[in-house]
Amino acid sequence: MEIKHSHIVLDACCVLNFRASGHLIEIIQSVPAQVVVTEVVRERELLTLQRLADESNEDTNQFEAAMEKGLLAVTGFNSESEEETFVNYVFELGDDGESATCAIAVHRAWAIATDDKKAISFFQREAPNLQILSTLEVVKHWSEAENVSSATLRSVLTAIRTRGRYIPQRHHSLLGWWEGIMR
Amino acid sequence: MAANILDNIDLRKLGELLQQARKKSGMTQADAAKVIDAARTTIVAIEKGDRRLKPNELIKLARAYGRAVSDFVRSSPVTEPFEVQFRAAYQRNEQEEARITPIIERFEELCRNYLELEKIMDAPIPRNYPQEYDVTNMPIEAAAESIAIAERQRLGLGDGPIPMLRDILEQSVGIRVFYLNMPAKYAEIYSYDEQLGGCMAINLGHYEERRRWSMAHGYLHFLAHRRKPVVDFEGQYKRIPESERLAEAFPKYFLMPTSGLLSRFNDMYRTHGKFTPTNLFTLAHYYGVSIEALVYRLEDMELLPSGTWDRLRDRGLKVRKVQQELGLDEIEHRADTLPIHYQHLAIEALEQGLITEGRFANFLGVDRLEARRIAEVLREHSSGMLEESAYLDLRQA
Repeated sequence: MEIKHSHIVLDACCVLNFRASGHLIEIIQSVPAQVVVTEVVRERELLTLQRLADESNEDTNQFEAAMEKGLLAVTGFNSESEEETFVNYVFELGDDGESATCAIAVHRAWAIATDDKKAISFFQREAPNLQILSTLEVVKHWSEAENVSSATLRSVLTAIRTRGRYIPQRHHSLLGWWEGIMR
Repeated sequence: MAANILDNIDLRKLGELLQQARKKSGMTQADAAKVIDAARTTIVAIEKGDRRLKPNELIKLARAYGRAVSDFVRSSPVTEPFEVQFRAAYQRNEQEEARITPIIERFEELCRNYLELEKIMDAPIPRNYPQEYDVTNMPIEAAAESIAIAERQRLGLGDGPIPMLRDILEQSVGIRVFYLNMPAKYAEIYSYDEQLGGCMAINLGHYEERRRWSMAHGYLHFLAHRRKPVVDFEGQYKRIPESERLAEAFPKYFLMPTSGLLSRFNDMYRTHGKFTPTNLFTLAHYYGVSIEALVYRLEDMELLPSGTWDRLRDRGLKVRKVQQELGLDEIEHRADTLPIHYQHLAIEALEQGLITEGRFANFLGVDRLEARRIAEVLREHSSGMLEESAYLDLRQA
């Protein structure tokens, strides 16, 4: 997986999936770019992330730990034009989290990681030159870069499936890969 | 992407929404002014729609009010605020108002969401509305029974029980029915708006028999006093108005029509040579009504001596216990907060990429994890359907 940009912004779908995997830190660490999440997503998904942590009886919050280690940067809007774009995108998408993710990525020419069908088509239209990655692409990259055993990879994808309740869309380019591991 | 959306948005509407949100958050105009480093008069002007907001100001205010920016700039349908509709709809005091206002607001939000989903999917709820029934100068009981008979005929319900009344009202009539948690003394809220049509919120905390009664009660308001919003709760009136007496009389005729009930009662009586408490419980279960409602109805029809219910009650009748002993299951129902059509519109919009997952979660009023769980269940309901084939017109060759 090549990332053509210095940073990659995770949207709420991906944050949840990586968090559900139980290997958030390792996965983020393997990404060849600075991983970022917007302040809006962090704020809005905090309770859901906490629920995930509670359900798995984890003492430490991987999300907070990744931030403390500097692996995951949280960013807000830097300029009035970013804020203006954000509000315009909210009007289109009706979703603060996706709008903040897209607005910041567009203004700073950063890549984006999302599985959201609506956000993907919107982002492709707004910034056709910017790279869009998915949960599965990032996890696949991690498994290859770190030589993760097939048993571990299966347990990670199973955790994303069961705890994160994520299933790839019918036309996902890595659906066959996912099905092969999960079989 | 167009230039700043805040230059083109309806400022008056935005101002109203901001004012409502500020009040709900318990902030004063002076508090809000501090948030954006402005004078209180600036907030006054913003809320009146006289001053444009900068994106930064909107973001700060939304955060201070604990709201999403999308609550203010989304292109949602404009309907008459329920608060205005309900202002004179029920006798209330401050305490009552504090209890019911958040429920009315949630009801309104859900109705608007429904309309928004219909617009997104271009799939308006089919309306099969009759003309409003004119009941002027009619005796109440006769009017209630005549409307019940006419409606049963119109909807092809015959004279038997009405299973799944909620589905009939939603799918055969086109009324939006939500089940919401309310304090026990509240039964139902009814509202009508040209765009939304008939809308009902029923107390989720009640037994299904009671909810069905409340739905029928609300339905009469729709049939006979369509544009008059209603909040129905115990002890509301010192003197019950005629419209309310009609709504109270209607459910018994609608849920237990005279001809059908008489024939079933006679069948039971002939078979056993008497009408036993077991017959009573079986019959109530068959019609999906409470024992009390059925006994009163049979008393009215002179099939049981008057005072039967009082005697049963005085003997310490324990309805739920007897129902369990007789093996009578809970009557069939769907107790979801949201109408089934609403849920299907939301999942279809998500599947087609017309809304984001976050928006889908908002429509369902849950967090993303729960939204994904519900999405799975809804997808299972249309199991076996490929994404593409789900939208085929099966009537096309």
